[in-house]
Amino acid sequence: MAQQAGIPKRIEKETLKLSQEPPPGINAQPDSGNYRYFKVLMEGPEGTPYQDGLYHLELFLPEGYPMEPPKVRFLTKIYHPNIDKLGRICLDVLKDKWSPALQIRTVLLSIQALLSSPEPDDPLDTSVADHFKQNKRDAENVAREWNRTYACKS
Amino acid sequence: MAVVVPRSFRLLAELEKGQKGEGAEGCTWGLERADDITLTTWTCTIFGPPGTAYENRIYNLTIICGEQYPDRPPTVRFNTQINISPVDRHGAVNGLSTLQNWNRNYTMETILENLRREMVSPQNRRLPQPPEGTTY
Repeated sequence: MAQQAGIPKRIEKETLKLSQEPPPGINAQPDSGNYRYFKVLMEGPEGTPYQDGLYHLELFLPEGYPMEPPKVRFLTKIYHPNIDKLGRICLDVLKDKWSPALQIRTVLLSIQALLSSPEPDDPLDTSVADHFKQNKRDAENVAREWNRTYACKS
Repeated sequence: MAVVVPRSFRLLAELEKGQKGEGAEGCTWGLERADDITLTTWTCTIFGPPGTAYENRIYNLTIICGEQYPDRPPTVRFNTQINISPVDRHGAVNGLSTLQNWNRNYTMETILENLRREMVSPQNRRLPQPPEGTTY
């Protein structure tokens, strides 16, 4: 490859800030072989069914970033109306509400906020969303059980 | 620096293309289990091209995308019995040019299209075939 343009400044800055001032409960490390690919650890927010869970996610900055949003996916199974069986996330800032003024940090904080306030009216997994709408208490029990089974491995 | 799309985001893009039905003519692909978060095992079909010995038959295949995909090619095998040059007598696809000269930009769609082209090639189009519907 002739062009050794190096890592785009913006990505470099964001990466540095993520490691120097990590958002509370979130750790994002770039892959050693791919500066656009991050392994993310996210603590389940307190007072939610995901509390005490530690969630693995992966994040990728596509070629068009920051004109295009990052791509993010959960690698840990989670019972949540806006996250599907493959870990894909339904969140406006990852789609039409993306703006180049947002960052990796803001995206990860939005995902953490989504864990605190599920939006069953904008579902990705309709059967999980119906469960949350029809019987929130029961759905949260399932979410707690999944949290214990998949996110609390020691 | 070149932008390298990691395995899982590549496979999610392939999944979406397959689900939208925007793939090559006569080919489909999707995850074997809808909750396979590792995105490893794929079920594919090829519709036999008209005017060949494969006409009117639906071939079922399994593609395994390992940890190293797409840096390394996937494992491809037919579940439906077939007599065609790139496939051995157990259904394993091992003589296909796409797999032999693998390139990171190739996808499952590339492989399925390549197989379908083999079906219409002069070498294969008239080969006698096993009874319809038999599996390995």
